[in-house]
Amino acid sequence: MNSRIIMIAAALVLTLASCGSSEKSLYSWYQYEDVTYRYSKNPTDEWQEKVVEQYQKLMDSQRGTRKTVQPGLYAEYGFLLCKAGKTEEGVSYLKKEIELYPESEQFISRIIKQFEE
Amino acid sequence: MKKYAFWAITALLLASCASNKTATMGEKYALMYEEKPATVVVMPPINKTTHAEAKDYFYTTMYYPLCEKGYYVYSPYLTMELFQQESAYDAELFLEGDLTAFRNMLGADAAMFTIIKDWRRNNVGGKLTVEVEYILRSTKTGETLYTREGKIKLDTSSGGGGGSGLLGAAMKLAATAISTALTDKVVAGRKCNAYVLSDLPAGKYSPRYEVDASAEAGESPVEATVK
Repeated sequence: MNSRIIMIAAALVLTLASCGSSEKSLYSWYQYEDVTYRYSKNPTDEWQEKVVEQYQKLMDSQRGTRKTVQPGLYAEYGFLLCKAGKTEEGVSYLKKEIELYPESEQFISRIIKQFEE
Repeated sequence: MKKYAFWAITALLLASCASNKTATMGEKYALMYEEKPATVVVMPPINKTTHAEAKDYFYTTMYYPLCEKGYYVYSPYLTMELFQQESAYDAELFLEGDLTAFRNMLGADAAMFTIIKDWRRNNVGGKLTVEVEYILRSTKTGETLYTREGKIKLDTSSGGGGGSGLLGAAMKLAATAISTALTDKVVAGRKCNAYVLSDLPAGKYSPRYEVDASAEAGESPVEATVK
């Protein structure tokens, strides 16, 4: 009797677990959303530093299932560098975006052209 | 007696888990599985409310969930510049229009439009109501590939504590005012995305790509109250 109840309970737990399955993230995000949002609202040097910190963390430690950087991230970082006058370094990150995500080429090469003019 | 109670609870739990949805995602969003869009551009939200800032709050929140769904998503911070240069920041002009420009300029397979219908706070209850319609259109055919609406209420009250009576109520109100001062509007937008896009078919970078066709599609509108 007891073992039967335990089995039923186990089956029940399994069923419920499969029903509310929380999928693992494809990418790590850390505080990306908050920090970039605040920076966009308040583009001070202080927040820019924090944004750069976030980008570096995101590029260095991706623990999601894809184990790679999310779409658009290299491009955002490269764009930020270009805007700050570090065109050469910035463009190299923009090119990294195309390398990792060839489908981004059309858009990213437009941006590169803007800065190389 | 105890035994009956156990079985009744079991039945209830199982029933609540397998709710009464009917169509599969493959049936409901057949065009998604046919066209297989891989790249998505997030269009600036179309704001039907009187809160001008809602558009701004909501715009960048779409990037994260769409990436996590397995799509290549053009960074909204970068596309915003392009939209402003091309005077395309008003997405209403494109909602039913030709989208080939986005295909040519960006290489986007699909454009995600959002229409903000409600974005309102009830100050006494501390609830924030967000109502958004999502429309994903093909840049190739112009067809709607996916559409769903969310009606989400975010409970921003600090919950519990504060005691009862007039003083307690006043303290609660003050706490709500502080906790809502900054980004809960952004949080509400994110929650709405999470609920609505839960049944968006996955993109090619997701392990759920194509296999989710047999999963059950959600209802539209999806309504929820969240903390």
